Amino acid sequence: MPPIRTAARSKKPPPDGFEDIEDTLLEFANKMKDAENAPHDGKKKYEMLWPIFQITHQRSRYIYDLYYEKEAISKQLYDWLLKNGYADAMLIAKWKKQGYEKLCCTRCIQTKETNFRSTCICRVPKAQLSEGQDVQCVNCGCRGCSSGD
Amino acid sequence: MASLPARPPVGLPPLPPGWTEHKAPSGHTYYYNKETKKSTYTRPVPNVRSFHDSAAAPPPPPPAPPGANANFDLFSPFSTQNSFVPNVQQHNFQLGAPIQQQFQHGAPPQQQFQRGGHHARGSFRGNHNFPSRKREPEDRPKHRHDIPGCAPWVLVKTKLGRRFVWNKETNESFWKFPPDVMKGVVEFDRVERDKRERRERGELSEDEDNLVAEIEAELAVAEEETEAQIVEVEGEEGMGDEEEYEEIEVTDDEGEGVEHPSKRQRTEEPLEEQGDQPMEMGEDDMAWQLAAMEEQYAEEDEEEGMPLTEEDCKALFKELLDDTRTNPYSPWDKVLEEGMLFDDERYKALPTMKARKDCFDEWSRDKVVFLKEQKTKQQKLDPRIPYLAFLHRYATPKLYWPEFRRKFKKEPEMKDMKLPEKDKEKLYRDHIKRLGMKQPELKSDLSALLKSQPLTSLNRSTTLDTLPTSILADVRYISLPASIRDVLIETYISTLSPAPGGIAASAEEEAEAAKRRAEKERREKALAERERRVREDKRRQERELAFGKGRLRDEEMEIERAMKFGKGGLRGQLGSVDREDETPQESEGE
Ligand SMILES: [Zn+2]
Ligand SMILES: [Zn+2]
Repeated sequence: MPPIRTAARSKKPPPDGFEDIEDTLLEFANKMKDAENAPHDGKKKYEMLWPIFQITHQRSRYIYDLYYEKEAISKQLYDWLLKNGYADAMLIAKWKKQGYEKLCCTRCIQTKETNFRSTCICRVPKAQLSEGQDVQCVNCGCRGCSSGD
Repeated sequence: MASLPARPPVGLPPLPPGWTEHKAPSGHTYYYNKETKKSTYTRPVPNVRSFHDSAAAPPPPPPAPPGANANFDLFSPFSTQNSFVPNVQQHNFQLGAPIQQQFQHGAPPQQQFQRGGHHARGSFRGNHNFPSRKREPEDRPKHRHDIPGCAPWVLVKTKLGRRFVWNKETNESFWKFPPDVMKGVVEFDRVERDKRERRERGELSEDEDNLVAEIEAELAVAEEETEAQIVEVEGEEGMGDEEEYEEIEVTDDEGEGVEHPSKRQRTEEPLEEQGDQPMEMGEDDMAWQLAAMEEQYAEEDEEEGMPLTEEDCKALFKELLDDTRTNPYSPWDKVLEEGMLFDDERYKALPTMKARKDCFDEWSRDKVVFLKEQKTKQQKLDPRIPYLAFLHRYATPKLYWPEFRRKFKKEPEMKDMKLPEKDKEKLYRDHIKRLGMKQPELKSDLSALLKSQPLTSLNRSTTLDTLPTSILADVRYISLPASIRDVLIETYISTLSPAPGGIAASAEEEAEAAKRRAEKERREKALAERERRVREDKRRQERELAFGKGRLRDEEMEIERAMKFGKGGLRGQLGSVDREDETPQESEGE
């Protein structure tokens, strides 16, 4: 989800400290654009969405780390970033819960959509999989995001 | 590295390049040439023909380092080594002077060294009974230094103060530094000089300080024009020592050298070399020396092995992050992707990727705090600093002052009452006007601003984050895009002398800084030690392997030869080989 700036918001510059992370955010935005416009040569439709999920994840993690782990950005800037769609607030909310620290995307923990009314295969801890079993979820291409891994 | 030539027995001339000496099981000494794959019982004697014909043979060992080395001393003004290094031997080769004679004395370059280093003025002229060369002091590698950023190249200093570079992996050695290695050596010299300066801190007079600055400037130019300068400078260098050159030529020519090379030829020589590969030393020539030196190092290791604690390793890694100007706001993956870290030894100070990431996190946390503190400090110092930084980001020629003021009126920088409205407007207009100027003009303005700073506020230990107020509060500072500006400033800073002691900092701070520097040096040295040990272990293994292979080949050869004596002879010889498992298949069938 690329940040969408409304006309009203664009008038007001972002809070202090935005300039420190602007370059990195711009890179994420470019990667996202590339992912959205990538040619789907032979790829399945759902595979096309994987990079978009991955970039969303990376960018959210980046902002999450800056605020919670490194305390490098202010609360105002953090809130502003969430409000402007630079990070997925829902996903970050999950990361704060025990057992979901590495969650790849919010879809992978929704039981409604899956065939067996369970969470996605990528949520299964590696220890519970048979040896050498290679998993990759259909939702976001995640290869495993259990907290224990 | 397959066959390390043994040191030639005293009294015997060294073997020509390519030849190695071996003992057959029968006790016979024989000689093997790995290039031609020939073996003989007669000790090969080098001759002119073989030298000229065998293109594969390594070039003759250079007598004395040619121009590159001699000129190099100009860049390291404190060097005590002999800066004039005659080029005699090479000329003699070119002129077809007594090559045979030289060669016999020739193989290990150290035997020729001393002629450059120890020249008795006048005493050799026309005298054929000069003392035996064997009794003259030999030159040999003495110290070895890693060249920053140039691994596996190392700089070897000989006993007589000459320097050459040696690639530990390919085992090439050059008197004349290849251009990329040259840069490393320049840097190495700078670092060395730094160390010396620090030691002598406070004792340097102002004159010497200026000299350092001048040399720095020369150095920058020299990097680009090394080749050209070598030619020029060599001519100048030669003038004072002309007599000495000639004397040595007479010495070497030994009667034949009546038409010794003129000075013109000498100065032209490097030109002829241009474009060619730098002079290469024979592999065998240096090999035993280097091996010997390594052994010596290995012994030292056991004595002094420097410990590296986990904290040291982290500190090294953090210094690497500082030095590469890593952005503390960057995600770790991106830092890795940029690939700035891999080339540095300090990257390997930490053993795992996880350790590196953790260290990066720790570093970036601290760095961000530091940067914020720095910013607040600057804001307190001068309200123009944050205001100008704000203009640098948002001011645009598209907006007139009233429009700009209206648009950003809620920003703290615009509301700051410490800076009068009138000043804000003036600074904005000045800045916008300057944005319309051409870049070279802006660059020279910035350069003038930098040059106007006293050494106490702007010196080699200044970083982009600790620039003095007088720069940050100047409108010239914000005229260029940050990317161009920062590079310019860093380049300039790198040419500056260290901060004059005691003036900028209190004695306490100074002592603290000195301690930090000493710690840093110690860590880097310890790391270099560790890396070297790892590399040497690896190479020792490789060499042993290669040596084993060489021995196998030798034995095959012996067996081949023994076959000529008949089966009895073969069995007789095999009986005396104690490494039967290594004997080739033909013999097993018997
Ligand atoms: Zn997942
Ligand atoms: Zn997922």
